[in-house]
Amino acid sequence: MFSSRPSFRFPLLQVAVVGGFLVLLFGLFQAQVIRGGYYRKASEQNRIRLIRIEAPRGNVYDRNGILLATNRPAYNVYAIPEDFDPKDIPIICRLLKLPENKIRTQLSQTRFASFTPVLLKEDVPKEAAMRIEEFRPELSGIFIQIGCMRYYPQGEAGAHIVGYIGKISREEFAHLDPNVYHFDSWIGRAGIERVFDHDLRGEDGGRQLEVNARGVPIRLLGEKDPIPGKDLHLTIDAKLETAFRPLLPNHRGVILLIDLKTGGILTAVSTPGFDPNIFVSPGRSAERLAIIGSKARPLLDRSFNGLYPPGSIFKLVTAMAALETGVITPHTTFNCPGYFQFNGSSRKFKCWNHDGHGRVDLYTAIERSCNVYFYNVGRLVGEKKLAEYARKLGFGSSTSFELPSAGGLVPNAEWKNLIYHDNWYPGDTITFAIGQSYLLVSPLQILRLVSAVATDGRILEPKLMLDQTKNQEQNHNLSIRPETFKTLRQGMLQVVTSDRGTGQLARLGFAKLAAKSGTAQAPPGDPHAWFGGFFPYEDPKIGFVVFVERGMSGGFTAAQIAKKAANIWNDLYGTPIS
Amino acid sequence: MAPRFLKDIHWPITFLTITLAAVGIFSVYSATFRSMGDYTQKQLIWSFIGIFVFFITIRLGYRFFLNISYTFYVVTILLLLWVLFFTEAKAGATRWIAIGPFALQPSEFSKMATVLMLANFLAGRNPNSKHLQNLILTVFFVGMPAILILKQPDLGSCLVFSPILIAIIFLWGIRIRYLLGFLLAGASSLPFLWHALKPYQQKRLLVFLNPSIDPIGASYTAIQSKIAVGSGGLIGKGWLQGTQTQLDFVPEHHTDFIFTVIAEEFGFIGAFFIIILFALLIAYSFQIMKHTTDNRAKLLAIGIIGFFSFQVVINIAMTIGLAPITGITLPFISYGGSSLLATFFAFGLLASIYRERSIF
Repeated sequence: MFSSRPSFRFPLLQVAVVGGFLVLLFGLFQAQVIRGGYYRKASEQNRIRLIRIEAPRGNVYDRNGILLATNRPAYNVYAIPEDFDPKDIPIICRLLKLPENKIRTQLSQTRFASFTPVLLKEDVPKEAAMRIEEFRPELSGIFIQIGCMRYYPQGEAGAHIVGYIGKISREEFAHLDPNVYHFDSWIGRAGIERVFDHDLRGEDGGRQLEVNARGVPIRLLGEKDPIPGKDLHLTIDAKLETAFRPLLPNHRGVILLIDLKTGGILTAVSTPGFDPNIFVSPGRSAERLAIIGSKARPLLDRSFNGLYPPGSIFKLVTAMAALETGVITPHTTFNCPGYFQFNGSSRKFKCWNHDGHGRVDLYTAIERSCNVYFYNVGRLVGEKKLAEYARKLGFGSSTSFELPSAGGLVPNAEWKNLIYHDNWYPGDTITFAIGQSYLLVSPLQILRLVSAVATDGRILEPKLMLDQTKNQEQNHNLSIRPETFKTLRQGMLQVVTSDRGTGQLARLGFAKLAAKSGTAQAPPGDPHAWFGGFFPYEDPKIGFVVFVERGMSGGFTAAQIAKKAANIWNDLYGTPIS
Repeated sequence: MAPRFLKDIHWPITFLTITLAAVGIFSVYSATFRSMGDYTQKQLIWSFIGIFVFFITIRLGYRFFLNISYTFYVVTILLLLWVLFFTEAKAGATRWIAIGPFALQPSEFSKMATVLMLANFLAGRNPNSKHLQNLILTVFFVGMPAILILKQPDLGSCLVFSPILIAIIFLWGIRIRYLLGFLLAGASSLPFLWHALKPYQQKRLLVFLNPSIDPIGASYTAIQSKIAVGSGGLIGKGWLQGTQTQLDFVPEHHTDFIFTVIAEEFGFIGAFFIIILFALLIAYSFQIMKHTTDNRAKLLAIGIIGFFSFQVVINIAMTIGLAPITGITLPFISYGGSSLLATFFAFGLLASIYRERSIF
């Protein structure tokens, strides 16, 4: 094989290797013999400590610049095990009020890297920090570093959206980039803190310190400044959040408010709530455990992730499907005797008003929430079209939204067959039409529905991030005719303004409010109360959804809360009617 | 008389490999005796297994391994796929397959399989016919494991494939213009390779060019390593007395930076001695290669010499700041069972080439 090639190749490879070794020998001679003295000295003086400086996490602001999440200074006490003298342990114990055993275990944790500072106690009171500083000359290897402690000034208000942070666990750390995360870094655990962790966290810096034989820093050798995390601005209104929370006392519920001009969510109150500060304050673990274990599930954000049957509020979707497919016009009437039968001998599906609504058209049916009307409509539209329109409006799948949100469930025949091994019956279709049967929705999805109705389908994607580029009009083409939306709005107006409407309790003094109530049967237990709508009727500014778990009646419980919420909004931002 | 089994053993190579492994055990002990973990014990066990592998390889003969090289190659590719997709990440990388208390690193075996496979493949092909086609196939055979290893991510083990490829095709008889085109293509693909690297790998390379970029992160290692080596001076600080490494200033000092331990504790004399041992080993390998008439053996030998010299030179150069920190280990000395086994296997093959030199 090689015969045809010149024979210089083999010697050339040899020369390459010899050359490599000569470079090595030369390099070593240069480093060790010629400059050996210099490096020797450098190594003797080499008492360098690396101190990591955590980058301050970005702030989170509401739409008016009110702080939702920020940092406050905290005094953290560290020890460098190699420099620490165990005879000082009793003094430290007294100063930090820690048991001796705890200090000993903490010090032995990083035995393999004994120059790495160990955190003894986080967030000690200022007085304790002062006293340690006084004792410092006698305590070698102990130092105090002022760190950042996350702080949520609004407490419960906005907590579900902002979320909270927590310490990285050992398992997580093994899977994370060690250049970004340190073994005791904080990481976003929920909400915005979690989803935007990367933006908020910034880049950690560090300090290279030279220390003397007792471990006391004598010179700063190098410093890399931490790069602070980015600040985030949310569409949330902290003032409204705080003012709305008392509207749901002792209830599990939701108040969602959206700015219909921009699609920005103003409030997403979910009760019961929690104070996110308990997740970051080392001394509050008892409260933390109580919240995590609570049966009321305060950590669940009901507005985005709670799933419930929608009840009558879903009739808006049924009406939309029927108008769009042309099976009815707004003036189509059906007679409501108080019940509905497929034929003379079949089961009676009741209307909520057992005396019946008489002959009603679509406007009146929405106004009075007549079940029988929508049973008839549902039968005409069919379950396929109902499901199609429900999906079109965002039901059954999670919203494209900054935070994770639940998808819910839009049933169909295949699904029922798969889960219940049973056929889809006409009875399933008509209960589907009034928002019962298997349907599950989140309050956020209902908010999307009322926003779409209020804005002719323009606002469909609620958002939480305040856009710096203002007035970004959303424009979605739902291919639903404006007349259909207009009809629904008219019906929703009557719900509130008509003396026989189901939402009369939500009449406002300052503007016309249009809405649809829902009272969703969810046995066992009382029905859930829904109330979703918008105001002012003529030029909708605000869309809202009020949901009360086991609230008995949408037109009663939820409508009253909606009215109070609208009035609070008006007091803060409403312009007097001239 | 000595038994037949010991006949024609290449004693210098045997002596040099065992000496280097022993140096490795002492260095690993010095690097780790302060920390917990039975590194030294494990290294000792692996060394014995390695010596055993060395003699078994001589006994079986290199022809046997060349004949099964395709199977061996496919198996190592499957193992690489396995670690990539089915093992848990350890310190951000998936490189190991756990076998009891030991962890095997398939990349080491893949390296050997690729050398065997290339030798077998190219020796049977005349460089004067289907030149380009054979070259492309060769690049493919080397590229596959190299890319899988880069994905782990293990830049160091991936880079080791380049000297194997270049040495073997060079000796096989690649036409010079192809070689130049090849190197040019390699150079122009660097920007793409750059983006395939993890940020920390990019940082290490940047730091090599400009140490002031990150004084407390990546370049800290480079600076501390150089201080460690330099402070050893002419005669060193004595075994177990190296402050730089003992006090954890140099990270990874039982694996990638094991040479800093030797250089700091035994000085230039110690480092010189180690380099002479390595140089002798390579010189004997060249001699063995020169005296065999089997083309497959020639290519096999140059492949082994290629990666071995590359690893030694780059690893040591890295500790004195002459090469970027890429995670290339020092054969025989760095802690690690798979590397020891693979290296003993490689020199077993060379010793076997020596033993069977006069079959014709």
